[in-house]
Amino acid sequence: MKWIPQEVETYLNAKEYVDTAVVPLYSVSVGGEMKQSAAAAEFITLLTSHLERQFTGRIVLFPPFTYLKNDSTEKVFNELHNWESSIFQSEFKHVFYITSEIEWRESSEKLKGSLIWLPAIPLEQMSDSQKLTIIDSQVKQLLTLFTQKWHENM
Amino acid sequence: MSKERVSRRQFLSYTLTGVGGFMAAGMLMPMVRFAVDPVLKTEGAGNFIATKQKVSEITDEPVRVDFTFKQKDAWYESEVTNTAWVYKNGDKIVALSPTCKHLGCTVNWNTDKEHPNQFFCPCHYGRYTKDGTNIKGTPPLHPLDVYPYKEKDGFLYLGKAEPRKEA
Ligand code: FES
Repeated sequence: MKWIPQEVETYLNAKEYVDTAVVPLYSVSVGGEMKQSAAAAEFITLLTSHLERQFTGRIVLFPPFTYLKNDSTEKVFNELHNWESSIFQSEFKHVFYITSEIEWRESSEKLKGSLIWLPAIPLEQMSDSQKLTIIDSQVKQLLTLFTQKWHENM
Repeated sequence: MSKERVSRRQFLSYTLTGVGGFMAAGMLMPMVRFAVDPVLKTEGAGNFIATKQKVSEITDEPVRVDFTFKQKDAWYESEVTNTAWVYKNGDKIVALSPTCKHLGCTVNWNTDKEHPNQFFCPCHYGRYTKDGTNIKGTPPLHPLDVYPYKEKDGFLYLGKAEPRKEA
């Protein structure tokens, strides 16, 4: 379900079926790295929205967690940790973070949710159908990760 | 003199008009919505969209067919890609919507090893037979929606998916 009132309402009425939160993570930088930053954000956005289409009935796609690239790792981590505690305090059983920022790999063990890291593929020069093929193949791999996780906890 | 100055009474009537106008706008909004909705609906129906699928290549094994079209809402125009599961049943073509009738996940063909040759929803293990009928005891309560189709120049064209009429 997407982060829009109609779908959140569906979620509220079907909580027992929707047990997974997906949070995209990406950083924002200005200046010289601005374009790279936007490209990575585009990749994560397309990927997570495609993922949401496959798993509409079981996940809620949260608004992205964004932070400044220059911010201290500790500050950013604490912030995400707050998100995590709030999400788990509500009725979600699983949380997935999806990011293309390599920095998160080090923190992944300190998080209760599962961190999925994928290198951003530059989509800028591609046609829409090429984009779709690429995103689709990436999402297929994510699907198995998700279903595995769900199986573990059955 | 008195023409230029706003008297107390005039002022009061201005403010009231203001509030009245505001309320009227509030009432108008829902009406506009009702008036616009049906128009939007008829626009979508009856439009068949070309797919890349050659009709002659459709077999009795369901394949995934993606098709893209432009959709316009109030804010922007966007490209939307929809998917259909397509196969032949005798000489009839069947094009099913992949949207699970439980909570809307995307169903796949033949991916559950324990129940081969069915549509399978990974979210809450919903299942459908090949013709899209929901299997009792799994969460979905309705059969998969069906796309109307047309053949043009050898290619498959799909319309807007509709709920299947219960037999
Ligand atoms: S969304 Fe398909 S079984 Fe629940």
